[in-house]
Amino acid sequence: MSVAGLIARHEGRRLVVQPFAWTLAAIVVALMAWQFLLSLQGFLQLAPKLGGIKDAPGVTDLVAIPLLRSFGNLLVLLVPLITMRTLAGERRAQTLPLLLASGVGNARIVLGKYLGAFGFALVLIVLVAAMPLALGFGAPLDLGRIAAALLGLALFAAALTAIGVLASAWAAQPALAAAAALAITSLLAVVDAGARLQGISNAGINYLALPSHLEPFFRGLVASVDIVYFVLIVVVALVLATRRLDTLRSRAD
Amino acid sequence: MTAPTHPILALQHVGRSLAGRTVVRELNLELGGGEVLGLLGVNGAGKTTSLRMIAGVLAPTSGTVRLGGEDLYEQPELARRRIGYLPETPPLHAELSAEEFLAFCARLRGVARGAVAAAVARALERCELGDVRRRPMAQLSKGFRQRVGLAQAILHEPELIVLDEPASGLDPVQALKLRELVRGLGEDHAVVLSTHVLSDVQACCDRVAILHRGELRHIGGLGPSSDQALRVGVSRRLHSVDWLSLPPVATAEAIDATHWRVRLKPEAAVDEFAAAVVERGFGLQELRADASSLEHTFLAIAAADAPAEAA
Repeated sequence: MSVAGLIARHEGRRLVVQPFAWTLAAIVVALMAWQFLLSLQGFLQLAPKLGGIKDAPGVTDLVAIPLLRSFGNLLVLLVPLITMRTLAGERRAQTLPLLLASGVGNARIVLGKYLGAFGFALVLIVLVAAMPLALGFGAPLDLGRIAAALLGLALFAAALTAIGVLASAWAAQPALAAAAALAITSLLAVVDAGARLQGISNAGINYLALPSHLEPFFRGLVASVDIVYFVLIVVVALVLATRRLDTLRSRAD
Repeated sequence: MTAPTHPILALQHVGRSLAGRTVVRELNLELGGGEVLGLLGVNGAGKTTSLRMIAGVLAPTSGTVRLGGEDLYEQPELARRRIGYLPETPPLHAELSAEEFLAFCARLRGVARGAVAAAVARALERCELGDVRRRPMAQLSKGFRQRVGLAQAILHEPELIVLDEPASGLDPVQALKLRELVRGLGEDHAVVLSTHVLSDVQACCDRVAILHRGELRHIGGLGPSSDQALRVGVSRRLHSVDWLSLPPVATAEAIDATHWRVRLKPEAAVDEFAAAVVERGFGLQELRADASSLEHTFLAIAAADAPAEAA
């Protein structure tokens, strides 16, 4: 196993022996299940009226995709909580020297921390995805569209996790790291709000905004430009986090 | 032609500034295998910064740290298998058990998967952690945590072991065991340890380096040598001339009525001196290496800058 994989697995192990991850997962599942049941009830009330309409929206449009979209919004809040301790927690607990002295290299430390946190975010996505997918037993689902939405959520979570790890590398306190990650993510979410208000939706500023790249996945569109955008965010954030560890090594902390 | 042999650790003109302040300057040190070096200094002398540079955690701003002749900061991966480091605060993931944590550390340090269990078992045994190996480390006492920290520093059998204040927080019994352990480690490894406790250095080091204000002010051996001052207790009331009349004695200085600090001539041996004392009937009651010679050196160095420090 590679060193990054080893660190990632260790991160996962550290998460599952603490109540924090379980509490977070429980809250997420409870919140999303509540929303799922509400929208399902709404759909069941609406279904008889939709019967006669041609190309009427189905359970995928009215239950599955809104639930996943809503979970996307929740991820903006959740991921900083998952990532805040990755490096800032090590610094606060004075355990970072264990990794720095191990001679494995800063890039692999950052990658390992990233993969560990991303793994947990993926588990949350799987837990939430199970709810609409369970409808497949009794109703026809547009699995292609749900798969696209899940891919979008995974890429979105990947980008948020990278931003979170970067914030955790910069901040000395986990709470500060979470706040910084939330601030960066929020900024990326609304960066084109002004432009959109002016009716501009296809300019460079729109390309920078996170929602412009997530929304197509919910519509079932998988475009390489959106995938590249998320991958770019991950790469840039992880490179910057590695540079930050280089600085810590040369600065003492 | 044989390849030149390099010391395990060599610091050459190593300096470090932090926030524009020079913390360590012009540090030159060499350490070979089977040697324990004690880094002694008052708080703020630059011990921890020096050890962090030796362990590969902190890059020096000038000079080089060489491990077996190779630059540690050009090849940071050298640290992985060859250095073990215990920082001042043991870096433990306290939510895990010692056994689980050490298994991770072993893999992190490149121990092959098949050899991890044996390496962990050996480190647990050496550090006497067998009884608590499955308990979450958050529940362990400070002494036990310190021992887990030590275990993670030695479990991959590194050539160089770097220990920052390893005895801090230990009770006297634990401190004694730690000294024995360090002494044992010093037989097969090169060990650098920092402390401000003189007795730790005397108990387990072969050499001592005294740092003060970031500079190396003294480096010397601690083993028995003809230059070593001896503390001698006798039942008879004596004068300096009585001691000087003994052929091996170079100088004698009274500590109190019945205790003397005696220095031998360079060629004289301690047993020769002891035989002479017995033969003269001085009433020998105590004979040991004079701990205070190191103490004197240390205090003299620390006191030398006292007025400047106060300014």
